Order: sequence, then C-alpha cells, then structure tokens
Amino acid sequence: MVVAYILMVGVPILALLGILDVGRGITAPPSIGGDWNLEFDAASICASGLAKVRQPALNISQSGTEALVTVNDGRAAAFPVTIDGNTLRSQTVTATITGKPGQRVLDGKLDIAGCGPVAFHAVRRPPAKKGGE
Amino acid sequence: MPNLFQLVLQVTVILVASRAVGFLFQKINQPQVMGEMLAGILLGPSLLGWVAPGVFATLFPASSLGFLSALSQVGLVVFMFVVGLALNPSELHGYGRAAVLTSHVSIVAPFCLGSVTALYLYPRLSDDAVTFTGFALFMGAAMSITAFPVLARILTERGLVHSRMGTLAIACAAVDDVTGWCILAYIVVLIRVTHVGRPPWVTIAGSVLYVLVMLLGVRRVLPSFERSFRKHGQLSDNVMAVLVMLVLASALATEWLGIHLLFGAFLMGAIMPKSPEFAGYLLHKFESVVVVLLLPLFFAFTGLRTRIGVSGGHGIWLYSALVIVVAITGKLGGSMFAARLSSMPWRDAAALGILMNTRGLMELVILNIGLDIGVISPAMFSIMVLMALVTTFMTTPLLEWVYPARLLRAEPVSTAAERVAVT
Repeated sequence: MVVAYILMVGVPILALLGILDVGRGITAPPSIGGDWNLEFDAASICASGLAKVRQPALNISQSGTEALVTVNDGRAAAFPVTIDGNTLRSQTVTATITGKPGQRVLDGKLDIAGCGPVAFHAVRRPPAKKGGE
Repeated sequence: MPNLFQLVLQVTVILVASRAVGFLFQKINQPQVMGEMLAGILLGPSLLGWVAPGVFATLFPASSLGFLSALSQVGLVVFMFVVGLALNPSELHGYGRAAVLTSHVSIVAPFCLGSVTALYLYPRLSDDAVTFTGFALFMGAAMSITAFPVLARILTERGLVHSRMGTLAIACAAVDDVTGWCILAYIVVLIRVTHVGRPPWVTIAGSVLYVLVMLLGVRRVLPSFERSFRKHGQLSDNVMAVLVMLVLASALATEWLGIHLLFGAFLMGAIMPKSPEFAGYLLHKFESVVVVLLLPLFFAFTGLRTRIGVSGGHGIWLYSALVIVVAITGKLGGSMFAARLSSMPWRDAAALGILMNTRGLMELVILNIGLDIGVISPAMFSIMVLMALVTTFMTTPLLEWVYPARLLRAEPVSTAAERVAVT
C-alpha cells in the first residue's frame, strides 16, 4: 500500500512540479479582453459612421487567439476577430497590439460604417473593481 | 434601480424552465439537478440566444444581469453553507487506508492530467494576463472536484448509501471537496494579489487569523445553537437570524481578505455541530428556498455566461472532447484503480470511480469563480461547463450498467449521507 501511495500520489505530485516548470516557458496570446476607449480622426469622411459610438467604444471578449468585439453604437453589433501574434485581424478591423498586459494599446483601422476604414487608436480601460478588491 | 417587472419575469421564466426540464430528467432516471443545470444552459446564448435572439435580448438584456447575478450569489452563499454543514469528518473514520489512497489519488490523478492538458490549451484558450501556473492549477482543481451533494443524492436514490462502496464514495468526495476548495482558495489569492496591489502577506496573515478565529473562537460558540434546538425542538426566528448573520459575516470576512465570499460560507457550515438531528433540521430549514428558488437562478446565470459553439473558434469542439476525455480518465480512472488497489472488487471500484466522476453544480460554482477572477476565458468556461454536464449526465446510466439494481448489497453501515443529498 505504501508503494502504491508513493507511485500514485507522490510521483504525480513531482510530475506536477515538472509540468508547472515546463509551462512557464509557454507564451499565450496578448491579453486584449475588456473595454476600450477609441480615438479616431473626426475629420475623416468616413468618421460620420462612428458618430453614434459611445465610450467605451469597444468591448472585447477574448478566448485565447479568438475574440468577439462588440461596438458600443446602440446596436451592440459584434464580430469575431483573430489574434495572430501581435496583430488583430478580421474583415472589419485590423490593428497592432502594443504595450504591456496592463497598458495595452491598439492602433489600426476600423470599418463599421461601410464607407471605408477609419484609422483609430484605442486604450484599454482598467477593469472594474469587484467586491473585496 | 432594477426593472422589477423584468427581474420578476426572469425569475418566473427560470423557475418554470428549471422545474420542467428537471421533471423530464427525473423521468429518465437522472437527478433533477442535472435537468436544472441544463435548463440554465438552454435559456442562455447557446440555445435561446441562438434560435430566438430577439426574445433572448428582450428577456435577458445585458443591463439586467447584474441583479440576477446578485440574487444567484446570495443563493450560493447559503448553498455553500449547506454543503459545509453536510460535511461530517466522523464519516471519514473507519475507512483507513482505502479512503486515504482512493481520495488522494482521485484528486492527484485528474489534477495532474488537467495540468498536462493546460500545456496544450494555455496558448490556445488563455492570454498573457494569466500566468501558466494560475491557469494550470485552476484546470487541475476544476478537474478534480466532485459534486458531493449530487453524489449523495444519486447514492440515496439508488439505495447504495449504506453500502461499503457508497460510504467510501461519500468519504472520498468529502475529502476531495475540502482539498479542492483549499487549492482554489490558494489560486484565488495567487491571482488576486497580483491585481489588487495589496501585499500578499496581508491576505495570507489575515486568512490564517480568520481560520484560527473560526476554529478556536466561533466554533466554541456554535454548540449553543444546538443546545437551543434540543431545548425547544426548533430554533426561534431570532436565533435563526443570528445564525444567518454569522454565515454572512464569515462570507464577508473571506471576501474582504481577497479569497472569496463562498469560502467563508463553506467554512461556517463545516464547523457547525454535526449531530444528525440538528444538521438535518438546519438543512431542512435552508434547502427549500435554496433548491427551489436560488440555485435555479445560479444555473440560469451560469447558462447566460455559457456560449457553447458561439465563442472559441472552430477548435472549441475538439478542445471540449479533449477536456471531457481527460476529466473522465483522471477522475473515474484514477479513483477506480486506487480503489482496486485498496482490495475493493472491480465492480465496486468501477462504481466508485463513476460516482467520483460526478461534478455537477460544484464544478459550476468553481468555474464561475474562475471566470470572475479572469483565470479562464469565456470559451474555456463554456468547455468546462460542457464537461460538467457530460460527467454528471453519464453517472446514473453508467452506474446502472456497472452496478445494476439487482446487485445492490446494503450493508449496515451508519452514515448521514441521506441528509446531505440536498440537490
């Protein structure tokens, strides 16, 4: 029974430590989930399509390399995006992700008005504090 | 201010759906709680939001979910108190090495397999705001949990609660749950201290002090409730109010410490006096409102956060299959082999493994905490909810196959498992 305990409990615990050590070398996609404030060139001819957008203009629900972007324009239109390295891509938006996890910035082009892409700069809002935090 | 009409309408729809699906599941020999869990998913974006997006948006607009969440959290606080109340350390005595080996393996095996799976899933379903250690430990803890109340309900319904296998399953599930919650508390602290900015030693020292106060101080006061019960045959409304206040104070203490309010409620229940009459009385007092009203709200809130097939990309079904296979292999396989090594016959060992594989709503509780603190992504949450549903659903038919009713061998072992079958 002692041998069985060592083999079935002790050895796996040691293996777990090894797994955690190996895992530290794995990188995950950059975090972009949360609410984003959007800045864009209001003088752009296509910016009128973004007139209904209120801040935070974007909400991103991220699951690894996939994310769902919801535009805060009253219609709650959502579209999927893919995160490839430090680039965010979809038919609607293309952007580069920069900055540390807590200070992420998006720079790219957004086309939700239908008349053409508008260059934008987006800054992530700090997450809302929950009880106890 | 909440839109009261909308809130009451939501509660009504949720209760109707949960009772209806729960009833249907009882008809196919599934625990009612399984149907209630599924009803929550059906009301969410995975089904209602998919087939009738207009109805879904009208019934559950995003702006209204805060109130539903608050109600379901209150229900969970009471439920965790009930789960802690149902745990009885004396039930662990008398099983010796078999219980020790089986319960420890039933935690370690799925924990390790969950962590190995994290090596594959972390770069695909997580992000760099979460450390691999936090993600892997959470995956391990979520894989190793057992739904203690659902397990007790299944054992009671099948008349296995007095068998050696049944009582061993109850004992192992109790050990698993306590261990699982301790690991989860550690993970929550690990994640939160990196975001809150509070020095870790404040949380650690505060937690140690809190546990000492509960075990050495509050625990000594609690028998007075039992004495009042024995004297009057019941607890007066004022005494019940004091008890509820203690539960809430304990929950608030752990929330303030940065662990989670559910841990406080659970510990309060765990240190309550355990005489069958007193514990049974309290369970009876609490379970109606919790089981009938508040837990369905929690299931619905979980369902509203679950987006099966909606998020996570095309690979979500592959990841789901992987997680389900790993969860079953680790929990069912690990428990079964450990029980067999403890000289239990193969049939009993397999039945024990099947029972330990039941994750039920305890898994949903843990997953909601994981999503709240951001250690798992929405897609990972949906995958794990699916795993919880599958492992809970498969328990009864697998048990009937391995341990048919005609083979039931009731043994005269004293246990309080019937009274813990709260859901």
